[in-house]
Amino acid sequence: MAGEEEPFVGLMIAAVVCSCTVVPWLLSLLATMISQPRKRKVLLQRETAAATTGDSLTTLSKPFGDREIREFRVMMANVVMSPSWVQMWIGGIMSLFGGQINVYTKVVDWARREAKQRLREQVAEAGFDEVVNIRIETTVMSRNKGGKDKTAGVEILVYGTAIKY
Amino acid sequence: MQPTAAQNMIFSNTETIPGMTITQSLGVVSGSTVRAKNVFKDIGAAFKNIAGGEIKAYTELLQESRNEALFRMLNDAAARGANAVVNVRFATSSVAGGAAELLAYGTAVVAQ
Repeated sequence: MAGEEEPFVGLMIAAVVCSCTVVPWLLSLLATMISQPRKRKVLLQRETAAATTGDSLTTLSKPFGDREIREFRVMMANVVMSPSWVQMWIGGIMSLFGGQINVYTKVVDWARREAKQRLREQVAEAGFDEVVNIRIETTVMSRNKGGKDKTAGVEILVYGTAIKY
Repeated sequence: MQPTAAQNMIFSNTETIPGMTITQSLGVVSGSTVRAKNVFKDIGAAFKNIAGGEIKAYTELLQESRNEALFRMLNDAAARGANAVVNVRFATSSVAGGAAELLAYGTAVVAQ
């Protein structure tokens, strides 16, 4: 009996070890290759849909012209993005050589575009015409070094004064 | 939770308030809050981290905290007898691992 159970137990252990080591990496690879580009594509569609009427965001402190402003409100949009395990791994290797680290550039750029797009949508939904004096703030949410917490990410905040003519 | 004084406060991140003139400046006001990540949300975030992309739990956490910092700033301004805050800026810094400080600051003014 014991001899028959042994390979089974070995298989169980192998399965547990596999699911703890290989499976997350596989999932990470899949997400990096498939789901992330798909999400970026959706974002691009939202951006192009919004861009038909011109960008409503501006870093100028006042809108062009002398139109009367009827209503204004400070509005903000934020997003926390994190690179996947695979991206962090590639990034770690690339940072040995220096130069541009494309995997990280992609994630930060994606986060910034997403935050800006959210502000545009939020503002349009609330019925405002334009957002002046926008500021973009970036915060690195560092890993807790030495701790169990392994999450890393970057927070992008976009805020400005939405105005209605 | 929010006192009425802060609710009626006008604030803008531009230097002037459209349609109003600033008559008096009452100095810099600020409000801050330090938030740590939630242990339970962290488990979800750690899993989300495998795939990368947006971590919604943190997005919401930071948004809530930032609103609170904003209200603290507005309360500060109300306590000084201001009716508006101009040039509002937000700043964030991560203090220790897992904790972030969110700061909102601006200039309290009397506007008419």
